[in-house]
Amino acid sequence: MARLTSPRWLAGVLLLLALTACGRTDAERETLARERETGYRGFLLPESLGPVDFTLTDQRGEVFTLRDRTAGRLTLLFFGYTHCPDICPVHLANLAAVLEDLPYQTARRIQVVFVTTDPERDDAARLLDWLGRIDRSFVGLTGTPEAIAAAQTALALPEAVRMPPVNPERPDDYAVGHASQVIAIDGDGRARAIYPSGTRQAAWLHDLPRLVSEFVDDDEPPPEAGSLP
Amino acid sequence: MQWWCAAQGIPWSWSWRAYPGVWLFIVLVTLIYLRGGRAREGEFSRQRLAFAAGILTLWAALDWPIGALGSGYLASVHMVQFVLIALVAPPLLLLGVPGPWFVRIADRRLLSAVLARLTHPLFALILFNVAVAVTHWPAVVDGLMASQLGSFAIDMAWLGSGILMWWPIVCPVPKRRFPYPLKIGYLLLNTVLNTAPYAFLTFGELPFYATYELAPRIGTISAQGDQRVAGLVMKLGSGVVFWTAIGILFYRWWRTEEAETTA
Repeated sequence: MARLTSPRWLAGVLLLLALTACGRTDAERETLARERETGYRGFLLPESLGPVDFTLTDQRGEVFTLRDRTAGRLTLLFFGYTHCPDICPVHLANLAAVLEDLPYQTARRIQVVFVTTDPERDDAARLLDWLGRIDRSFVGLTGTPEAIAAAQTALALPEAVRMPPVNPERPDDYAVGHASQVIAIDGDGRARAIYPSGTRQAAWLHDLPRLVSEFVDDDEPPPEAGSLP
Repeated sequence: MQWWCAAQGIPWSWSWRAYPGVWLFIVLVTLIYLRGGRAREGEFSRQRLAFAAGILTLWAALDWPIGALGSGYLASVHMVQFVLIALVAPPLLLLGVPGPWFVRIADRRLLSAVLARLTHPLFALILFNVAVAVTHWPAVVDGLMASQLGSFAIDMAWLGSGILMWWPIVCPVPKRRFPYPLKIGYLLLNTVLNTAPYAFLTFGELPFYATYELAPRIGTISAQGDQRVAGLVMKLGSGVVFWTAIGILFYRWWRTEEAETTA
């Protein structure tokens, strides 16, 4: 009875509680391990991939050739779709939040490019509306299924897969399985790093300035302003 | 089968979901209370009313939709849960405890000794605020909210520490007097001690919790906006509860002094 109520026992409980608070999740430990190894919290590619290039249609209905329009900038390329209920809006919302916090000189050298994996529902108007509610500077691209599939293949990404609708009476209500990573492409069009779904704002805030500093040429002329009207 | 609300990472739906673990817990607590015997004449309906209010508050906080939203989607709703489970429900449940129960506790030496330690105001104050800090630590939230058992553990930590924190205010503390001025000071100290977590949540530039930062979004609120609302809910919600209690204690203290002066 004395043990249960002794001050030492109670102090031990409090200490245990406090120590619990110092722990990290597995994902945090892995992120920190990557940072110690490469200096980045994302996955730095051991060898760059590319140059990455393709031509699709942007949210204004104009032809958009990736290398021409993003030369001299760090491009964050993401394949997704606007009806995505989770990964896509979270990924893009986190990027938008971080870009707001970055210094202007860094943020203006970064371009987010969203390529739809659901061209049937995501036309230019839909992309303009949806991306405009997240960040007006984000570029949205659509095109033929073949052109989009080719772009994914060129980046060694699996092609998106249209799932059957949950309710057969609503054939337009379907999900699309797609690769969920953001690919960081340098100013010369070469893929340098990958950021999977679940990348946190703190990781973006840590890596983006480093990516710009290491992979975007300071001597390049200032990039043009964001693409949305 | 989802027994307890936990973060699942699936898009939110306003379709009702069953969480039978919550119902079992509520029924169990209610049965224990009802089996405990009746209160003295006159106190019966008031105490039953207090307990009913407490158990209904607990049920609302743990079950769909508040429990589901708070466990996996919105930090602000998670904070609403905290206020309800740790600050609102415990005093109501304690007010529902009939007087004879405390006599029975006093008759049991071991239980009385343990309770005397746990409900010592200093210990209860420290334990509650350590529990608040630990259960709001990002690694703990992100580590535990993903599992039903972990989410249950956080809810029980709030309920248990809340009961101990409120015990010196609402109930007789075994072997100890706790006069009104000290009770008021005790609650004032609580209003000050929860300023730190509130400040981190409200003024932090980045989202603290991966659980809510990476959750499927609901509406247009951003992760940072949701976190700021969470901080405000914590501060304002706890402020309303504590200051209401302080007001009641002041009133009772004044009434006691008046009665003594008149006598």
